Amino acid sequence: MKPGYTGPAIDAVGLVKEYERGRRTTWQRVRRHPDQRERFRAVDGIDLRVERGEIFGVLGPNGAGKTTTMKMLATLLEPTEGTARILGYDVVREARDVRRRMGAVLSDGRSLYWKLTARENLEYFAALYHVPPKEQATRITSALQAVKLDDRSDDYVERYSTGMRQRLVLARALLPDPELLLLDEPTVGLDPQSSRDLRDRVRDLQAQGRTVLLTTHYMEEADQLCDRIAIVDHGKVVALDTPSGLKRTIAATEVVHLEIESSPADAALLSRLERTAGALARQEHENGTLQVTVHVRSARDFVPVAFDVAHEENAAIKHVEVVPVTLEDVFISLTGRALRE
Amino acid sequence: MTASATTAPRPTPSRLDDVRADLRAFGAAGMKEWRLLRRYPSLFIGFLFWPIALPLAYVFQAQGYSGGQPAAIDAFAQRAGTAEIAGFLFLGWATYMWISMILWGPGTALRTEQVRGSLEALFMTPVSRMVILFGPVVSQIAWALWMFGVVGGVLVLFFGVPIGPMEALRALGVILVAVPALYGLGALFASVVLRFGEVSAMVQTVRGVFTVFCGMTFPIIILPVWAKAVALSLPPTYLIGDLRAVLLKGSDFVSLVPELAILAAMGLALCGFAIVAFRRTERYARQGGSLAQY
Repeated sequence: MKPGYTGPAIDAVGLVKEYERGRRTTWQRVRRHPDQRERFRAVDGIDLRVERGEIFGVLGPNGAGKTTTMKMLATLLEPTEGTARILGYDVVREARDVRRRMGAVLSDGRSLYWKLTARENLEYFAALYHVPPKEQATRITSALQAVKLDDRSDDYVERYSTGMRQRLVLARALLPDPELLLLDEPTVGLDPQSSRDLRDRVRDLQAQGRTVLLTTHYMEEADQLCDRIAIVDHGKVVALDTPSGLKRTIAATEVVHLEIESSPADAALLSRLERTAGALARQEHENGTLQVTVHVRSARDFVPVAFDVAHEENAAIKHVEVVPVTLEDVFISLTGRALRE
Repeated sequence: MTASATTAPRPTPSRLDDVRADLRAFGAAGMKEWRLLRRYPSLFIGFLFWPIALPLAYVFQAQGYSGGQPAAIDAFAQRAGTAEIAGFLFLGWATYMWISMILWGPGTALRTEQVRGSLEALFMTPVSRMVILFGPVVSQIAWALWMFGVVGGVLVLFFGVPIGPMEALRALGVILVAVPALYGLGALFASVVLRFGEVSAMVQTVRGVFTVFCGMTFPIIILPVWAKAVALSLPPTYLIGDLRAVLLKGSDFVSLVPELAILAAMGLALCGFAIVAFRRTERYARQGGSLAQY
């Protein structure tokens, strides 16, 4: 961090990233036609304050603005509006200082040189990260050990599995011995074992005193890893708290998923279920069935009543599932949509 | 890695430290390219074969057209300043191949990184953008030396062209003076990659202009006046002319100083322009998010 700086690891205020939709042809440019492209905000005024030493998650569906936010913090994109400081350095005016102190995983294994060995890849990037020659060998060995690839360091990357490549990308991000790590969807495309493995490595990084900002659309991952989570949707932070704090925002302890055989009386049935539960978190028709999600304080009390209501409306409940409240439910209650929609 | 190393405040390195680190990164980029090249050994055969095969075809063509008649060779010598037809053509083509390599080099290197998906990873490092731009083509200097070495060997062994160590040293000097101008051009094409995501059309056009105007296979004295003016505004004209002068006509370095000065000035101007253009296009890419788009 900047000498004398005592603030948070990340301090972003009013971050906005605007893009144009559509295209403007060369002919239009030459003729100086007015630019009629629609402007849209991929990130729409995000404020983030990530304290040092915490694992902070940004949770949201695809297209919510998570990656764009990460790229702005990683100095790859210039914000249209707003400011962001990383460890006290401005991401636009002091980009090089930010890059010296930050490691980032914003891509998958494609960003490695597959015809080089893991060690050769890291040797190249160590030079790009300005690692002093005397420290290079130690730094590379430490990074490989940290991601448990030290025994395969002299294999070509093309012989690695997807999970190993992703771990090597993480090792690359560790080369500058970063105070802050940005991880964008680090477990996408990994099998459960590799994902678990990577999450363990992230916890190790926090134990070493590093700050981690990660984006994900896997709610379990955010729930298990993060000290605090910002839920983003349509480029805005819609909620920010600890995982348990977020779950407490729902006035319920259980979630009931009902699968009901669709009938012409659906509207009446839904209306009565809503009156019984207070509100329906989600409802949709799928393959001739009506899927209803309800947040309740006691499933034991609600489910029998739901069966009675269905019976009275000549509908049949085909399946009932009762689960504890998750971050997915928080997201649904905030946006009316599921994370993967 | 220890916790203490990550949490202690780190002072920003001095500018000199940064320059040293960037120079090491240049070396690492060259090493990386060399390692990648070694994984495809068949490329070495191409590098050995092509610098000989292409000019040789033109030597045969020239012999076919002239019929080996002394009058024809005299006419050529009057225009070219040397009767060494093979040397003239071999040097022209070797230069053409090197220039092609450089024009494609930085742009293609960036494009390859972009398509591979590693460009953003490179741009997230604190290394100077000049390393990203020119680092991968450092290894091409070795190839250029190799190519000129092969051509020199063929000329000496098979065509009896008298090239001694002093001539070779002078030629090396000419090549080094030409490096900034040619790499400046290459860097301009790299800016085109960041701006438009494609560089082939422009490289082909410029390469065509060089082939027509710079006298790769003919003496530029035969060009019309307006075309000669174009030729004299292009760096390869001086490079080819000076290489032929030191290797085939026995010119010394001092007599070439005016031309080399023009070449060096062109190099400074082109490199300055390329750096400004690259910074602007990088900014454009960071504003529009086109670094990862291709």
